[in-house]
Amino acid sequence: MTSTPWSRRLLAAAGIFGLVFLTVPLLIVIPMSFSPARALTFPPPGFSLRWYQALFGDPRWMEAMSTSTIVAVLSSVAALVLGSLAAYGLRRGSFAGRDWAEGNFMSPLIVPTIIVAIALYLSLAKVGLLGSFVGLVAAHTVLNVPLVMMVMGVAVRDFDLRIEQVAWSLGASWSYTVIKVMLPNLAPSVFAAWIFAFIGSFDEVIVTSFIAGKYETVPKKMFNELILEVNPTITAVATLLIAVTVLALAAVTLVLGRAGKLGQTLVER
Amino acid sequence: MRRRTFVKAAAASLPSFGILSAAQAQSKEIRMIESGGLSGDSIQVGYIDPLKAKTGITVVRESPSSLGKLRALVESGQGGTTLFELGSGIVQQAKKLGLIEKLDWAAINPAPMFPEAKNEYGFGYQYFSTIMAWRKGVKEPKNFIEFFDSKAFPGKRCLPDFPHYCLPFALQSTGVPIDKLFPLDVDAAFKRLNEIKKDVAVWWKAGAQPPQLMKDNEVQYSICWSGRVVGDPAFGLNFAGGKADLSYIAVVKGSKPDDKLAAWKLYHEMSLAENQAKAAQVISYTGPSPDLDALLPKDKLWQYPTSKQNKDVQYFENAEWWAENGEAVNKKWEAFKLSL
Amino acid sequence: MNRSTGFAFIAPLLVLMVVAFNLPIIYMLGLAFWDKGRGFTLEHYEGLLEAPVYLRVLGNTLRISLIATIANVAIGYPLAHWMRGLGRRARLIAIALVVLPFWVSILVRTYAWIVVLGNGGLVNRSLQWLGLTDAPVQFLYNELGVTIGMANVLLPFLVLPLFAAMIRIDDRLLQAAASLGAPPRTIFWKVYFPLTLPALAAGTLLVFILCLGFYVTPAVLGGGRVPMISNLLDTLINQIPRWEQASAISTILLIVALVIFAGYRRLDRKASA
Repeated sequence: MTSTPWSRRLLAAAGIFGLVFLTVPLLIVIPMSFSPARALTFPPPGFSLRWYQALFGDPRWMEAMSTSTIVAVLSSVAALVLGSLAAYGLRRGSFAGRDWAEGNFMSPLIVPTIIVAIALYLSLAKVGLLGSFVGLVAAHTVLNVPLVMMVMGVAVRDFDLRIEQVAWSLGASWSYTVIKVMLPNLAPSVFAAWIFAFIGSFDEVIVTSFIAGKYETVPKKMFNELILEVNPTITAVATLLIAVTVLALAAVTLVLGRAGKLGQTLVER
Repeated sequence: MRRRTFVKAAAASLPSFGILSAAQAQSKEIRMIESGGLSGDSIQVGYIDPLKAKTGITVVRESPSSLGKLRALVESGQGGTTLFELGSGIVQQAKKLGLIEKLDWAAINPAPMFPEAKNEYGFGYQYFSTIMAWRKGVKEPKNFIEFFDSKAFPGKRCLPDFPHYCLPFALQSTGVPIDKLFPLDVDAAFKRLNEIKKDVAVWWKAGAQPPQLMKDNEVQYSICWSGRVVGDPAFGLNFAGGKADLSYIAVVKGSKPDDKLAAWKLYHEMSLAENQAKAAQVISYTGPSPDLDALLPKDKLWQYPTSKQNKDVQYFENAEWWAENGEAVNKKWEAFKLSL
Repeated sequence: MNRSTGFAFIAPLLVLMVVAFNLPIIYMLGLAFWDKGRGFTLEHYEGLLEAPVYLRVLGNTLRISLIATIANVAIGYPLAHWMRGLGRRARLIAIALVVLPFWVSILVRTYAWIVVLGNGGLVNRSLQWLGLTDAPVQFLYNELGVTIGMANVLLPFLVLPLFAAMIRIDDRLLQAAASLGAPPRTIFWKVYFPLTLPALAAGTLLVFILCLGFYVTPAVLGGGRVPMISNLLDTLINQIPRWEQASAISTILLIVALVIFAGYRRLDRKASA
């Protein structure tokens, strides 16, 4: 279709520009984290690990890391379990208000985050749970639900209903069907959904800033640091986060096996 | 985490303190919400650590502080946090909204302090200045008439995104002297801001922005907090026409009596000149003791908001005027921002 | 599976969503209609009409969101189209590069732009070195900076569904059109583009909705010159604090977002059909 060499070249240029535009911030941050300079400068004037030392030497950063990890683990697992069950129920069941329920589960993605933050802030304050750990985990779980629904909805839809029916007709119990038949087949998607929810929680800043109280998560601390003082330690944090993300995505790719399936999982909602 | 366990262990190993405090039924641990950063560290070093050493009382800090957070604390009726840092104008507002309690000055029994710091509803613990500063190498303005004169002093400006800073400075640039600023002529101030807005590259919300922007050469002149620029050879600065202001620490409405007993102890530590000198080493802001200057390093006196030479050339925040007119001005400010 | 078991599967999540999402939002929306001691009131909405400045900030938010969305389409459509034509391996790498920033902190990406686009930043230095400009170009602390930052964050949300729709288009269809003698341009506009249109429209609306709630990027890259509704809400909640007014504004914002979302759902169904 793009048959003339010129238009093909033009398209390639536009595509590559798009990719560069997307990735340039990441490419900048990584070398800056190894800079010896006090201020954010590029290119870095030398090589140093001082910001990694600052990061690992600071108990407050370490505490933020552990808080973030705990909140992300709890909320992603909660979202994964509840979201997967719901995705299954929505695909296989037919009951009144099904569409409404599905829309409602996706809505944390659609409702502007600032509104979610304000609503949670006001109502948690009302019931005295503002700044509580329970409130924080519940909020992250709610925000993670759409990510899980996106992945698991596709997975359950694509899973052949007949396999399930065969298991049932052979007299398998429901729990046996789930554990022995469904889970092994769906495991890659379950893993992908969990990773997305985990990273989604690990990166959440707006709602957390409003409701977390004394709990410091990594993004919240980063945002507060940036307001108080531009400190290159955040580039070290960012580089670590990028590294974790790349590893996690690589793991998802490995587990999902073929690239096509990853692409499918990512692009279909 | 680790620090708290340590504190608990330390408290347990000092039984005598337990007996002492049981007699007065005062809490061993209270919570404070403060504005964070170096200022928070200065509270820790200057006041919380000495309090801990003397009485065994622990103060747990959380940041940042905002009026909205205070309202949420009070409306939810939770008595977890006792102390709350507020700006001078905000104290008036919080008082009006019924969010803070009166202090028991008799129980605090403070060392001598400046009268404006001894507010019925708050302890003025930290003077800070909002002043003009510039990147070294540009022409140096002597007052706000020159600061806003972009023909004679070419370069981009960085101003605070808060009307209670910008309006008085804009008025000064029309020739109003600092003792005639209040009541503010709001319309004249906005008229002047409309003339100079083309020279303003950034309206800052966070105190870290102006020094960083001057270092990056994005702007050449800033109005910023003195503690952010003093002592940095990259910048020049001038206190002339600047705004001296006072940060307060107030008591959250509905705090438990036992927590308040502990809070009075902290307030007492905050009134001591020697503690204020420790805090001033962390951040170049000063406490409310008239005896403080003598304890500060002579060569650094020019950096502090309240040293004689600086206090005389600045104007003092008029919190009452802002409590009356703040809301109307805020709306005008939003409208002004839309015209940028 | 019968009806009740289907419902049993969604019940736990439904409970959580109602308690931790629906009720808080309803409570917040209700706050605007409530006045301490006096009961029901419309004064906070009347306040909006009396002080149209808040509505003008909302208007400004819609305008910036529109600009950022257009920028997204201008960059995203050619990118997705180009990715469709790549080989298997290159396509995988391209997908990975599109997805990767998706999961890297918005904060970090936003701050990276300061280093890239500042007066002494990479782009300006390159431009001056190439002799294209004498003075630095002001990319940051204006609407341009906010647009760049927002487009960067939201691009994957447009590119991924668009790419998914594009790879579903059968090459044979395009070959058939070519064999009938249609010139490439005609094939693109008459066959290919219409097939991608539903996905494009759906992705565009999604990006637009997400733009409405942006908070970090305007705060950092706008230099205080680009008032957006999220930042105004932050002020009303945290600084002033006029929660009732914030609640009234949020209600209007929510209605705008939901109306657009209804349109998105219709188009999305069409796109996947």
